[in-house]
Amino acid sequence: MPDHHPGSRPEESRRSWSDVLQGMQDEIAGLDPRYRVVAAALRELDAFSYSASHDLRAPLRGIDGFSLALLEEYGESLDETARGYIDRIRAATRRMAGLIDDLLALSRISRTRPVVEPVSLTGICVNLAAALRQREPDRDLRFEVAEAMEVVGDRGLLTIAIQNLLENAAKYTRHSEPAIIEIDLIPSEDGPGFQVLRVRDNGAGFDMRYQDQLFAPFRRLHSDAEFPGTGIGLATVQRVATVHGGRVWGIGAPGAGAEFFLALPAGGRDGVRESE
Amino acid sequence: MDGILLLVEDSPDDAELTLRALRRNGFSNAVRVLRDGEEAVDYFRSPGESCDLVLLDIRLPKADGFEVLATIRDRSTADYIPVVILSTSAERRDILRAYAAGANGYVQKPLDYDRFQDLVGRIGRFWLGSNLLPSRRRIGGT
Repeated sequence: MPDHHPGSRPEESRRSWSDVLQGMQDEIAGLDPRYRVVAAALRELDAFSYSASHDLRAPLRGIDGFSLALLEEYGESLDETARGYIDRIRAATRRMAGLIDDLLALSRISRTRPVVEPVSLTGICVNLAAALRQREPDRDLRFEVAEAMEVVGDRGLLTIAIQNLLENAAKYTRHSEPAIIEIDLIPSEDGPGFQVLRVRDNGAGFDMRYQDQLFAPFRRLHSDAEFPGTGIGLATVQRVATVHGGRVWGIGAPGAGAEFFLALPAGGRDGVRESE
Repeated sequence: MDGILLLVEDSPDDAELTLRALRRNGFSNAVRVLRDGEEAVDYFRSPGESCDLVLLDIRLPKADGFEVLATIRDRSTADYIPVVILSTSAERRDILRAYAAGANGYVQKPLDYDRFQDLVGRIGRFWLGSNLLPSRRRIGGT
């Protein structure tokens, strides 16, 4: 099999990864005219979700604002039940806002042109882990982060992806004591141009029958009461993987924890280099 | 704190909530509310019209907030009126464009009305209370 990862060709090593991706896309478009139609539809969909997210937020501000105005100005003439209803209106508004924000973040990722550079995943993981532990100080939440994990990619997007993976692991280990989340970098079956970030937890796990649904936006395998969430986190990880020309997948079993894998262009000698 | 405030906001709900936030923060300033971009552009093209602070939405009918901003900065007597963008968008491209067009501040309207009220109070106190402008505090006029 020919060695074709971009970093092995000196003339390509001077080009940015996004230029390489663009080149590949143009090549595909030349081979199959349907690609242009699909690409245009995707752009339209992103424009739609951007606009929808903004336009959907506006009425919510009205609902929250006037609910609070009611409480502040007429609260004394309302009984406790009525005030409780207003609180519930505001809580529902916040949940809706959370959904819209997640949707917006998801659409933003697809519209981002990645700026590719060598990135230390260890540093990102350590910071995110510290923030997560701080958020839930009463839990015995243990992160084991491997040293010197280097890849090439867009630092901001990778941070978003890893944040979602770690938040996911922290959430589904909330009934595990202690919760242990291990993060390391393993070789990829996709070839030397890739490395795989693995996030392993000892949490609730999932049934492999539903693995296809894991990465679909708004699909959830657990009820909101059991594990709250919007169902956007892993879809976000998948978008980041796609933008980098990588992929994401998961394995697990109910009650036996889960492992998530994010394949990314490798750093170091074999990886794609960004010279600018 | 005196000074005329101009609020360019197409949503009647948002306008009402912003006016309420100003009242609850103790501002008794005159506030002029303009409902679309064209009204705002006309306002700044009329000689004699001026104000001390503009709170400007970006997504406006007829002419968007960037056009309004360009009109304000084009007019020599209005080129240093403080303009703070109040937008639903936290998109980087919108923020960059607003500053490039001469915005003095850019704030994403928070959904939580408590936070919005607090924010409006802080914006008003800073731009109308603490900030100094190069010459006449009131600019324009006849």
